[in-house]
Amino acid sequence: MTQDDIIEMLLAFIAADEERCDTKSAASEDAFDDVALRLFTYQFENNRPFRRFCIQRGRTPRTARSWRDIPAVPINAFKELTLSCCAPEDAARVFMTSGTTLGGVRGKSYHPTLAVYDASMIRAFKQYFMPDRDRIDMSILFPGEDVMPNSSLAHYLALALSQFGADGSRNAMQGDGIAFDHLFELLDRAQIAGTPFALLGASYSYVPLLDEMKRRGLSFILPPGSRLFDTGGFKGQSRELGLDDFYDQLAAGFGVPREKCINMYGMTELSTQFYDRGNAVCPSVKSGPHWIRSRVINPLTGDDVPVGETGVLVHCDLAHFNIVSTILTEDAGVETENGFLLLGRADGAEAKGCSMAVEEFLKAAQA
Amino acid sequence: MTERAGYLPGLSGDEVDWQTLRFRDTDSLLEVLVPVLSDAQIAALTERVRNAGREQLKPMPVAQIVDIVDRAVARLLDRNDLYRQKAEEILPIVTGYDADMIRLGLTGYLKTFRKPELQKFLAEDFTNPLILDDFQPMPKGGFARAFGPDILTHIWAGNVPGLPIWSLICGLLVKAGNIGKVPTAEPLFAGWFAQVLAEVAPEIADCFAVVWWKGGDAAREDALLKESDVVLAYGGNDPLAAIRDRVPVTTRYLAYGHKVSFGVISRAALDIQKASMAAHQAAYDVIRYDQQGCYSPHVFFVERGGRVSPQDFAQYLAHELEAFEKKYPRRALSIAEARDIAAWRHGEEIKSFAGEDSGLIGNAENAWSVAFIDDDEDLSPSGLNRTIKIAAVDTLADVVPRIAPYKTLLQTVGIAAPPAELYELSAALGLAGVTRISALGHMTAPEAGWHHDGRFNLLDLVSITEIERSAEAAADTFAPYAD
Amino acid sequence: MDFTDKVVLVTGASRGIGAAIARAFAAEGASVAVNYLQNSEAAETVVAECRQSGGDASAFQTDVTDSDAIPPLVENVLETFGKIDVLVNNAFRPYVFDPENRKMFWELDWSHYQTQIDGALLSTHGLCKAVLPDMRRRAQGAIVNVATDLVARPTIPYHDYTTAKAALIGFSRNLAVETGPLGIRVNCVAPGLVYPTEGTRNTKEDVKDMITAQTPLGRIATPEDVTGPVLFLASPWSGFMTGQTLYVDGGLVMS
Repeated sequence: MTQDDIIEMLLAFIAADEERCDTKSAASEDAFDDVALRLFTYQFENNRPFRRFCIQRGRTPRTARSWRDIPAVPINAFKELTLSCCAPEDAARVFMTSGTTLGGVRGKSYHPTLAVYDASMIRAFKQYFMPDRDRIDMSILFPGEDVMPNSSLAHYLALALSQFGADGSRNAMQGDGIAFDHLFELLDRAQIAGTPFALLGASYSYVPLLDEMKRRGLSFILPPGSRLFDTGGFKGQSRELGLDDFYDQLAAGFGVPREKCINMYGMTELSTQFYDRGNAVCPSVKSGPHWIRSRVINPLTGDDVPVGETGVLVHCDLAHFNIVSTILTEDAGVETENGFLLLGRADGAEAKGCSMAVEEFLKAAQA
Repeated sequence: MTERAGYLPGLSGDEVDWQTLRFRDTDSLLEVLVPVLSDAQIAALTERVRNAGREQLKPMPVAQIVDIVDRAVARLLDRNDLYRQKAEEILPIVTGYDADMIRLGLTGYLKTFRKPELQKFLAEDFTNPLILDDFQPMPKGGFARAFGPDILTHIWAGNVPGLPIWSLICGLLVKAGNIGKVPTAEPLFAGWFAQVLAEVAPEIADCFAVVWWKGGDAAREDALLKESDVVLAYGGNDPLAAIRDRVPVTTRYLAYGHKVSFGVISRAALDIQKASMAAHQAAYDVIRYDQQGCYSPHVFFVERGGRVSPQDFAQYLAHELEAFEKKYPRRALSIAEARDIAAWRHGEEIKSFAGEDSGLIGNAENAWSVAFIDDDEDLSPSGLNRTIKIAAVDTLADVVPRIAPYKTLLQTVGIAAPPAELYELSAALGLAGVTRISALGHMTAPEAGWHHDGRFNLLDLVSITEIERSAEAAADTFAPYAD
Repeated sequence: MDFTDKVVLVTGASRGIGAAIARAFAAEGASVAVNYLQNSEAAETVVAECRQSGGDASAFQTDVTDSDAIPPLVENVLETFGKIDVLVNNAFRPYVFDPENRKMFWELDWSHYQTQIDGALLSTHGLCKAVLPDMRRRAQGAIVNVATDLVARPTIPYHDYTTAKAALIGFSRNLAVETGPLGIRVNCVAPGLVYPTEGTRNTKEDVKDMITAQTPLGRIATPEDVTGPVLFLASPWSGFMTGQTLYVDGGLVMS
């Protein structure tokens, strides 16, 4: 299949009717497998490092019978290897990880077009964040695409703004920080007018906002239908808050009940995002649209761990077509009936003996 | 099954609060009760140990202490002994290590504490061990005597069976009152050894205690640290630094941090006959206690140019590990441990994209991981639990720059090389920070009297009191027989 | 015996014993590389049968007595299936088993021997060499070579054929010693007279009757009889066996 064929196939798959989207039906599993395996063949043929990776694992498209058989690429490989089916210089857009680990090397995802990424984002965002309306007054607490052209989140949020923001919605950032005065004015206005309002940003973006509100003694009670969106955790960018504490503070600060506080789980190495149905209870159950599937595995054997046990998350995202679709994350998770619980970064083992472990070694060697 | 940890002279079981630690293997559940002591109890215990040490141990000839330890060790070497049987039954559940590996490991280890070996211990550190009993004439003139601390505190770590008794025996040989804190990972063996000692020599039963608290419990630790004369601690650099910061300035602090060890194989050991033996021995070093020891290898540097190439050697080693898996299976791994191995494997797997011949040998279903690197490769820790890297080098001297950046972290080198190379390389390795060089296959079994991490086991613990010649001479002038 | 996710290369698999072996592996879930020399139609039939029985298969045309052709064959199989877990060396030079018209020793030239040695050994040697890098990298592998019970009991002295097969057993034992420390096992299966195959289609009834009469299990081997021991030697069930020869002749030879 050519790249155009792949794109056409995926756009059709993403746009499929509701009944095809029931991820539990056998028909849906078959349809997913069909696309996943074709995509696997395409990536195997066009992405040389990935092909080597698969042959090392003794797996080829020929011997894969379900998406579960596709070797999951550890996300660290995105830093070391150029994973792309198109020539990297032909990419319309390159998204990069923030580069907080591995000596600042950043993982890259090459996109020859954002058509599939955008279609994926729009349909899932609608499904999870905007099921009840088409547009809403919106403020974004994250730098714009012009400031961070390699940030997938900046693009994602810009898309949210353009596709789902009501007239006058805008990015609330000014320079390095949030333009507090203007934002508070908007929130005030929404409160008075009774029009629902949505705030969207990185989880850590809310911390200085809440601090500023506390400093000014401010709190809001946003009208019913308002909602909050956060993603990505705190990543050393701000104080770390416990999840319950965080959502309690959001609920208290903006008058938005915790079940209307939606957390999105996404990563640069994917073109599709997972969402929860609010955070009344933490950790919340995450799920994704019908073109992404996940497994919880033992990272060593690659076997599924029994339902209810903790393992590491593997995602097969059909929308991530130009790079690799199936990735092994560093996130711990537990499979549930309707999705999975995200338990944060999977930790290494505590030392059992007096032999040095990798992390300690790196630390000691740097000291 | 329930087992009580610790050894608390002077405290009855009812006076103490006990916490339950649970250990599980495929078919048994073991509950270990560990003592949770109050500050007052720690103080009382310390007082008792200090007094008993002064009264019983300090006047006892060191030869008699050697005898006592020898008798206690003999009990633990006797497979019909109750404590030995307990150890063989329970330690596999606590640590997860294969039962046969523990049985053989214990015997091999305990043998190094028999009387002749203990005498070597003493001779290693003291030209005249009687210096522990009485003032002895010194070459420079005058007399000197070595005194062990009143309270020697041991903070043990890790789950390698038996390790704590090393320092405990050292403490006894220098006549110290000993208080040892056992790790949560293996809280039992030290207590059993203490009980055996008390049974074979009731007169010294109050000279030592074995306690427990959760790692990092600063309040408990402080209570003990302020009573100690010498503190000996094992563990990672972070916990060691945390302890150091709380040890009083006047207290001697001896820290044994986590270490990295590796192997070096000369092309002379790589002819078609000898290479398989070298692979067998190297594999044995890897499987012993699943690489949890500071002496366990993480990388084997293998010289190019032998009849068997480094890559061939890696493949032989892989099969040896597979064969050992049948004999001494690897512990069941937690998800976190599996993740560590997986992370290591993924890292090595990606390196194979750079060079055709490099990469992982075997697959993820094997209970071992071998990576081969046909390129310049620095020393780095493995993913533990039987993960090992073979790195090719042009000459053995090329190993030195690969380890140089990690001077403070190095410990043992297992070596297979002819004499000239052995001595030449050893000089360079010693300079680079290596403190122990053993044969392949012996990395995990240091010989008796080994200078752990290059230190003196006994000398580090004592203080020397010297009678200078002037005092001797002056005394004469006050003697009743003075003219 | 589960061969799911295992890849098996069978030489000479378009017909006879080779085809039966290919089908048997596929029925246990294996992906089978069906090597053949000429008859692509027959090979495709075997491939189709393999797929029907639950496994997967592809046909690979290669003359395995041509040493230059072997590495590309193995490369091709690896590209298709990703690895090779089992190699079955079954191919041999066409030989007519006709007791009445067989060549007697003084009628044979060295070239007859050479032909059979090339057929049995040259191809096996080349294939073993070619698959070893992949097997060594994965520290596992099973090689099964098809010999004949005539080696132990030359009921009829097919000098050139049987000598070559005897050499094959010697070859296998030596290889087993070399690759044992690398986790790779090498064994042989030595069938008796197998009927029907290309080589035995014209075997006369009286010969079959004579062999049947001397065989404890009272009949001639079928191609399917050979598959069980081959699968066994390829499976973990024989994980501690190497350098062995299993006779599959109803007890005609006992050793």
